[in-house]
Amino acid sequence: MTETITIKDAKAIIENQIEELSKRNREPEWMTRIRYRALEAFEKAPHRDPVISEEELLHFIAKPEIEGVPEHIESIDDLPPEMKALLDRLGISEVEQKYIAGLAVQTDTGVIYNEFLKEWEKKGLTVLPTEEAVRRYPDVVKEHFLKLFRVDESKLTAYHTAVWNGGIFLHVKEGLKVPFPLHLFFLIQESALAQAPHIIIVAEKNTEFHLIEGCTAPILLKHSLHLDMTEAYFHEGAKGQLTVLQNWPEYVHTRPMTRAKIGKGARFINTTVTLGSGKSNIGDPRYWVDENGYVELNGILLGQKDFYVDLGGRMYLQGKGAGGINASKAVIMDESTVITRGIIQAEAEKTRGHISCDALLMSDKATMETYPGLISKVDDAQLSHEAAIGKIREEELFYLMSRGLDEEKATQLIVKGFLEPMLKDIPMEFLVEIRKIIELAVSGGM
Amino acid sequence: MLKVENLHVNVEDKDILRGVDLEINEGEFHVVMGPNGSGKSTLALTVAGHPRYEVTRGRITFDGEDITELGPDERAKKGILLAFQVPPEVEGVKIIEFLQQVLVELKGLDPVEAYDLIVKKAGELWFKEEDLHRYVNVGFSGGERKRLELLQAVLIGPKLLILDEPDSGVDVDSLSVISRKIEELHRKGTAILLITHYGRILEHIDKGDIRVHVMKDGRIVRTGGGELVERIDREGFGGIFEEVGE
Repeated sequence: MTETITIKDAKAIIENQIEELSKRNREPEWMTRIRYRALEAFEKAPHRDPVISEEELLHFIAKPEIEGVPEHIESIDDLPPEMKALLDRLGISEVEQKYIAGLAVQTDTGVIYNEFLKEWEKKGLTVLPTEEAVRRYPDVVKEHFLKLFRVDESKLTAYHTAVWNGGIFLHVKEGLKVPFPLHLFFLIQESALAQAPHIIIVAEKNTEFHLIEGCTAPILLKHSLHLDMTEAYFHEGAKGQLTVLQNWPEYVHTRPMTRAKIGKGARFINTTVTLGSGKSNIGDPRYWVDENGYVELNGILLGQKDFYVDLGGRMYLQGKGAGGINASKAVIMDESTVITRGIIQAEAEKTRGHISCDALLMSDKATMETYPGLISKVDDAQLSHEAAIGKIREEELFYLMSRGLDEEKATQLIVKGFLEPMLKDIPMEFLVEIRKIIELAVSGGM
Repeated sequence: MLKVENLHVNVEDKDILRGVDLEINEGEFHVVMGPNGSGKSTLALTVAGHPRYEVTRGRITFDGEDITELGPDERAKKGILLAFQVPPEVEGVKIIEFLQQVLVELKGLDPVEAYDLIVKKAGELWFKEEDLHRYVNVGFSGGERKRLELLQAVLIGPKLLILDEPDSGVDVDSLSVISRKIEELHRKGTAILLITHYGRILEHIDKGDIRVHVMKDGRIVRTGGGELVERIDREGFGGIFEEVGE
């Protein structure tokens, strides 16, 4: 860092970006006002990130793009050779390859799904880039945009809100059950702006859906800071699954911000599969669960290189009979660090909560820490936690090897098996890729 | 085929085997008996190549080749298979996927061929097709674990099958099917090294056909025919140990 970026400089840069975004998106004034409100909040909002200092954050804002990533990627051939080789080894489909290369930007994938989704729109399913939803459904967006976050909570929420771009708006109308998983990509690669997609999910009464976002292969990002925000609303009896697949390049810091309100008898299964070796990933999702509602936060994590991961998760069980599970399984390799600190707070009678954390340490330089938090404000809540941190057991390895599998193959099998129970809801096509990535990681080939 | 010469083995700074000699030729049936702690399992695990069992003296050869320093996977590829006394649970690994991979690696089958073979043979050891989608040994009863070990032996068809107490912790019905499968493998030419406390497992085996070794304190102190099994069943090891001056 050669020059000092002051908060004033940063604000001026953000302001320029707001201007550009509001113009580019042909944004209604109310949205631009929200951005400006966030800009005002940015200066005073606290910043407490264990990895990115305030000074660094200001630098990211001044210079969001990293160096060394090809400026113009027009075909798969423009990718760095090591990345191409990896994609080949993974057997990634052409559509996904394009996405990874930044060729399939949001509008492109929009086209792929367009005809199909038009049919479903008539039945009550709306899937749109968030910018477009702002124009087409301003009332619904206004009702749900930034309602689960305060703009001045932190510099990161303020910055995200000021410059958000990209993301998905998913609205499932009352009673509609979407029988297939919706797989959507939502990165905008061509932009020099920060990566700050905003996702809104509105599941009306008695709906069902499964949204899968991201992809299993590493993505060639041009930005070193990724700030996505997800706000999800589950009305009475809605059942939804959100599966996030991510494989970050090693220079990326991600700060996912996810919050959800889970209504009476509603269910939300929130699964995140992290396969890469980013720089750091820090998230503390929050869930408010009403009567007989249920939330499950599943974290599957493959920590490589010097990846620093800190996974929180707070569940407020506010209605009678509400339940929550926070479960994670981490395979921690190389010099990576994984910390889990879920909190479940029982605020109503007959609520149930469970935190579990399993970690497989693959290296002496890897670190795992877990801090489960259980808070009960009632006398009949059932709250529990369990944690197990260990290495691959010698007996298991010997058993598999005594059947003729070499050490690498036996280790791959054990590591895949360790994660397998958590991958039960992942569609087969992704499962195959995930397993391949685990195999490559175990044999040091990522 | 297998030749164990003056084998000394150290486990966690304790000398467990103190000079074992044993030779097993193609298709032979050998039984090792002895009290707890006499070194029977150590012998089995050392021949299979467990990394924690350190050979301090002597050597193991197989088909004329010194395998003392080989890893367990390489020994398996040469035709040695150990059926474990307590097979470990392997969380998240489905039996079918594991066995398919083993047959692909070890026997060069293609996965579809392997699948059909596994399902067919599984029935003979009382596993239903859906059982094969359970995780390896996870939540298995003693009998199920031992039957799964035998299923692997039947599928792999090793040159030498080492069975470490295939009869311990097993229900009567499982014991009978396991005993019959051991006999069948032997009949088809697999050499057997069977470790046991009781003669019951040998009910389907021709006693005139077997060699029996009695171990004590890390050594084989007596070798004889099938009649030794009946004698040990009847009167324990005391008499034999007295005779050999131990």
